[in-house]
Amino acid sequence: MILHPQVAKDTERDEPRALIAIFLRGAADGLALVPPVGDDDYHRARPRIAVQASEGLRLDGFFALHPLMAELLPLFQEGQLSIVHACGSDDDTRSHFEAQDLMEHGGTSVAGGWIGRWLRASGGSGPLAALALGPQLPESLRGAPSAAALESLDELRPGDDTEPVREVLGELYRGDELLGPSACDALAAAARIGELAQRTYQPEHGAVYATAADGEIAQDFGRGLARIAQLVKARVGVRAATLDLEGWDSHFVQETVIAPRLRAVALALSAFARDLGPLLATTSVVVMTEFGRRVGENGSLGTDHGRGGAFFVLGGGTSGGMHCRWPGLGEGSLIGPGDLSVVHDYRDALAGVLARHGAGDRMERVFPGRVIAPMPV
Amino acid sequence: MSLTRRTFLLATSGACVSLGGCDPLEVLRAPAQESGTFVASTSPGIDLAQHVLGRCTFGLRPGDRSAFLALAPQPRAATAAWIEEQLAPQKIDDERAERAVRRCDSLDAPIGELYEYKPQVLLRELTAAALLRATFSKRQLYEVLVEFWTDHFNIDCSKGECAWLKAGDDREVIRKHAFGRFPELLRASAFSPAMLWYLDGRANVKRTAIERPNENYARELLELHTLGVHGGYTQQDVMEAARCLTGWTVRDKNGFRKASVEFHADEHDDGRKSVLGVEIPAGGRERDAEILLETVAKHPSTAAHVSTKLCQRFLSDDPPRAAVEAVAAAFRTSGGEIVATLRALLVRPEFLAEEPEFAALRGAKLKRPFHYTVSILRATEAATDAGPALTSYLARMGHAPFQFPTPDGYPEEAAAWQGALFWRWKLALALAGGHVEGTRIDAPRLLERVGGHDGLVAHLLGRQPSARERELFLGRGAPILGLLLASPIFQRC
Repeated sequence: MILHPQVAKDTERDEPRALIAIFLRGAADGLALVPPVGDDDYHRARPRIAVQASEGLRLDGFFALHPLMAELLPLFQEGQLSIVHACGSDDDTRSHFEAQDLMEHGGTSVAGGWIGRWLRASGGSGPLAALALGPQLPESLRGAPSAAALESLDELRPGDDTEPVREVLGELYRGDELLGPSACDALAAAARIGELAQRTYQPEHGAVYATAADGEIAQDFGRGLARIAQLVKARVGVRAATLDLEGWDSHFVQETVIAPRLRAVALALSAFARDLGPLLATTSVVVMTEFGRRVGENGSLGTDHGRGGAFFVLGGGTSGGMHCRWPGLGEGSLIGPGDLSVVHDYRDALAGVLARHGAGDRMERVFPGRVIAPMPV
Repeated sequence: MSLTRRTFLLATSGACVSLGGCDPLEVLRAPAQESGTFVASTSPGIDLAQHVLGRCTFGLRPGDRSAFLALAPQPRAATAAWIEEQLAPQKIDDERAERAVRRCDSLDAPIGELYEYKPQVLLRELTAAALLRATFSKRQLYEVLVEFWTDHFNIDCSKGECAWLKAGDDREVIRKHAFGRFPELLRASAFSPAMLWYLDGRANVKRTAIERPNENYARELLELHTLGVHGGYTQQDVMEAARCLTGWTVRDKNGFRKASVEFHADEHDDGRKSVLGVEIPAGGRERDAEILLETVAKHPSTAAHVSTKLCQRFLSDDPPRAAVEAVAAAFRTSGGEIVATLRALLVRPEFLAEEPEFAALRGAKLKRPFHYTVSILRATEAATDAGPALTSYLARMGHAPFQFPTPDGYPEEAAAWQGALFWRWKLALALAGGHVEGTRIDAPRLLERVGGHDGLVAHLLGRQPSARERELFLGRGAPILGLLLASPIFQRC
């Protein structure tokens, strides 16, 4: 294929990579998302709710993917999806609020959030550099040079900044030494967003996001990720975007709580990967949760708050595969009231991704007070 | 009793908005509005009244010009009178601002009781209060200095227990001493519970021979709060300053006497020290910190550093040296009296910019996003609840109050702020169009009071438009109010 020189140049100019951080709030059960079906202790601890070896989707000889996440299997097999297991933080309060707060700040007693510090440390940002899809900014975006929480793209669309307004603003700012360049950027961003506004979004490469038939949770979450895909593809300068999926706190009849959410994640991530096409190579998606859940099931077919959990990394040049030194689920290897150990610190996992987003030599500014060993995720 | 009342208010504050007869906008609206017509500038350039008001306030409200000019027959005399009035804020009745922030219940809570609030509630009320005071207070110069010191002694609410304690710091350190003496301001900040958290002073201990002090606060004390990075201190001075402060800590939220600041002699390095050439004999205990703070507060580099920053706020990014030196001299001779220092600054020819050589300074300073936002509210006499719909724009423009992560505070220089035009325009146009929930501009009334479109243009530009500007604002059929607020002229003061 022969690339027109101008196209090649544009691609290069727009190279700045995007990082999408998805937070599964309420503590997603890593042992259900990515069950260690080859571990006998797993089946002993969860006699009624374990994912059976026969139903799990085999990732390797030991781990499987939850059967409700089948759409992710091809991505894993193609090496586009990495999984970090026994991953978490050193917070042992097992409090959702404390653990989320810690993880989003990226350390104890540090100012700002990990994404905010990364954006500030890596310099350069535009008006849409950091976006949160939702009603308010998450702690992770605190301290970003500029951060916007958007409930819908309508908030970006030209409403009051009509064509005549933009035309006059262009003339007013022309020749302004200080603000002229920023005005050009703002007008360009407005024009690109204006183009987006003129049509309903059409996913590409045959991607299909969840519809009403897949349930409200999957449809809403898919819509959020589709919006992010739209903005990334429109090249309006998005460098980081955050999206939440709540409701993972499965103390009671776990399967009914997590089933619609497993579908939501699988459908949205697979559609997003397909939709982005070649841009997936420069777009990383990190899926995280504040902690995993107790290894042993409780009396109401649920699980309680635990420690180690599972993170996903999709695209952006990820190495693919399982990343885990499995600590085991035997009596001697569990911590606290019977929880999976945290073998991999969440910051090392995030650092492995950030290293591909220009944070390589600035990691101590992103995660102050800790010697970071980026994982090859 | 008070706990019950607060809990009740917290529980009902959200519901209040939707109840008939309890519209916070109406509450603010009544005292906010003045009646009658007002006159915009007839000068082709930024005149003295416009300039002084633009620089020393968060923007001109309708009628501010006339009130300013009515102080004396000549603009120069009116300027002097206005500055003296502003330098004595305790004599200015501020009922309007007090009423505006009355709903922010947490502002009066004793520091230890701040823990009864959710951090989100505290940040929301603190942010709303900052916006409402900047918008409605008649003590404008004082509020400008409050913002200045908030950055100088920056604390990010997102770190540790600052989420609860910054509200106390805002009241007991920044607002209490903003017009006081710098040495007392510095001392209040050094022993502020929030600052002890933010810069890890609480963890600065020396219990054993091998334990090393935590230098975080000591370094920022010298680099940012007092001498300045090129102020002539050494790494040795930083380490010695940290030793002086060992043992000062603050009780956390788990236990009794929350947020109380204490000196633990067993965690203090009680050996002899030498900071910036001052010898501190062994056995000084609590006195070590006092000597250190006195030493750095009166150091000549501190006068120079603080004066440079004040001149950057009121003059320009690169202020003329003569002005900085004159202001620093006033700081030194007054022993760091902030009012005397400001007075010296505000009479300088470089500030008044009447001579042709300084004329270009007028109208040349870029408003930071907070200033810009407030200046819109003031110029249009907007009624506002300073709620999330409005404050979300501050985050979008990168200027959410009390949320700057590093201790140097939000920068003053224009270069740091030139990138946010996209959101500045969005804000201007959304406010003008009435699309920001909780904030309302009565545009027809404003237009009527200022005598039509030409008056509105002059009011918001702060001068008469050129022929080309007039054509752009009035001749293209674009909505005039939003366009004026989004214009490059209104971005500046």
